[in-house]
Amino acid sequence: MKTFWRDGARVREVELLAVAPGRWRVCVDQAEFELSSETMPDGRLRLQGDAGVVVAEVTPDGSRRFVRLGVLDFVLEREVAVRKGAAAAQDGGLEAPMPGVITKVMVVVGDDVTKGQPLVALEAMKMEHLIRAPRPGRVKKVAASPGQMVQAGVALVELEPA
Amino acid sequence: MFKKVLIANRGEIACRVAATLHEMGIRSVAVYSEADRGALHTRVCDEVRAIGASEARESYLNAEAVVEAAKASGADAVHPGFGFLAENAGFAKAVEGAGLTFIGPTAAQIRAMGDKREARRIAERAGVPIVPGAEGADGKALVRAANAMGYPVMIKAALGGGGKGMQVAHDAKQLAEAIEAAQRVAASAFGDASVYVEKLLERPRHVEVQVLGDGQGRAVHVFERDCTLQRRHQKVVEEAPAPTLTADQRAIVTHAAVRLAEAVHYRGAGTIETLITREGAVFFLEMNTRLQVEHPVSELVSGIDLVRAQLSIAATGRLPFEQHEIKRHGHAIEARVYAEDAARGFLPQVGVASRVRWPDGPFVRVDAGVESGDQVSVHYDPMLAKVIAYGPTRESAIERLLGALDDTRVHGVVTNLGFLRALLRAPEVRAGSYDTEWVEREFLAGFAALAQAPAPDLALAAAAIAEAAGTPAARTAPNGPAAPALDPFAQLGRWRQAGLAG
Repeated sequence: MKTFWRDGARVREVELLAVAPGRWRVCVDQAEFELSSETMPDGRLRLQGDAGVVVAEVTPDGSRRFVRLGVLDFVLEREVAVRKGAAAAQDGGLEAPMPGVITKVMVVVGDDVTKGQPLVALEAMKMEHLIRAPRPGRVKKVAASPGQMVQAGVALVELEPA
Repeated sequence: MFKKVLIANRGEIACRVAATLHEMGIRSVAVYSEADRGALHTRVCDEVRAIGASEARESYLNAEAVVEAAKASGADAVHPGFGFLAENAGFAKAVEGAGLTFIGPTAAQIRAMGDKREARRIAERAGVPIVPGAEGADGKALVRAANAMGYPVMIKAALGGGGKGMQVAHDAKQLAEAIEAAQRVAASAFGDASVYVEKLLERPRHVEVQVLGDGQGRAVHVFERDCTLQRRHQKVVEEAPAPTLTADQRAIVTHAAVRLAEAVHYRGAGTIETLITREGAVFFLEMNTRLQVEHPVSELVSGIDLVRAQLSIAATGRLPFEQHEIKRHGHAIEARVYAEDAARGFLPQVGVASRVRWPDGPFVRVDAGVESGDQVSVHYDPMLAKVIAYGPTRESAIERLLGALDDTRVHGVVTNLGFLRALLRAPEVRAGSYDTEWVEREFLAGFAALAQAPAPDLALAAAAIAEAAGTPAARTAPNGPAAPALDPFAQLGRWRQAGLAG
């Protein structure tokens, strides 16, 4: 079975083949190795490979997996469609980067903006964050108003080529 | 002594105050907002009172609702914790107006120290050196003053504190922009847009002194804390004693702090913050009229329960001990665990902390505000817990803290644990050779590179195998809901107590 996982900025591929009960041939990106796994009574996974044994703890959270290997923690995200949303994330800057409260809206529909111009100020966790234009353009839509509480990822301003 | 105390706060500090109340046999009353229904602090208190909607303004910052809850509960005193209404003079006045005791300074003291410009004048009168600075009615006057004083300068909210709304400017153009932003933050956070400028001291250390005053002109200190490890003016790691302080400097800062507290007839627990320059000069920064987040390190090195001392002063008007009875042993160090993604600009995280394991072991203390299954809400500060370790020496305390952080597991929300562990392993931290800007100037870039490194192949294999093997932990669908929140009442652990939550 082939699955894709977002690991920070990259998407990684894992191919898993059950060669026997609790015995796997694993291919992560290009690297191939074998592992035996055993689910311990507390739900953790005991993984044994050529190099030795490691205990892994995997906690799902929606599409995310919190993976603890020994004392190290990693967060991976299961990708359903490869590179879904990667292009949209490229532009960035026009969505709320974190949950917060809009404190100021500095543009109106029809404004021509230059690259880097502040569009919206968002206050979150003691700090003010400026959402700046990622490229020059004309404001097509403003979906933010002062005092409004927004969640992360919510589009605040839409730009079109001037 | 009081029979029942209402804790006007949430999260770890509400739990911390409740622990001392419990130990003293005083009934505790928790207040909670809509978002905090069933939160840990409501589970550790003897009684609970709803005070309003999730937004802090409607609940934890709603003085009227909190005073109303205190009266209705029959409490005889209110402990404000820190943050929220802790440094709100109007709240202190309203509590006393309702015939209850406010466990903290007088409203006048809160007001005087809360206006950082006034606090500077008080410090100056008490003979404590202040950082060169200027006040001004408008931005233009401040820019003129800064031009005369020289850059870089720091812009601060007059009614601010705790780093909120602080900005650095390196020239007049930056300053004008920063003043506007600081005024906006100040207006929204403190209800007053006034700001002032201070000359930015380059590469200082942050050393603060814990004081206790009886409200009648006598004060003692419980030594100092070093809070130099900061990121964007927010403390990350704090310790006691301050590792680089000489005996002479210690005498200077502690005496100055006591002098200042006595000059204003300070009542209760407070902290005098100072900056120490590379040349060794000490400058007054501000006085915080409340218990501090980092108070546990002082408790561990002195053996003094500062919350108990606050209660004692509030109930009797006397200091519970003399200066010569306050001793210091060993070293304590604290790390603040935040729900923020250190690998992505420290973005605050929200969600369910589905599986949490806090460390234990000898000389390790955890002041936590969440346990497995608890919600981390968008509405409040993302600090989840403080992990504090004690040892006979600084090295042993750091080793213990590292071991404790290694043993800490928080799944469900991303935390800064990796950042803390990397930070405490840095040679500069081990050597004590850093300043308040060091984390951002020299540490963060290297850490970011490390944090962005690919996860080991084994981590990916574990995630895929967990899904394929259908381990109990991975039984939800790939995009299904998070693991169901566990019954909070089954998760009380050491907090379980009789008479819980009514």
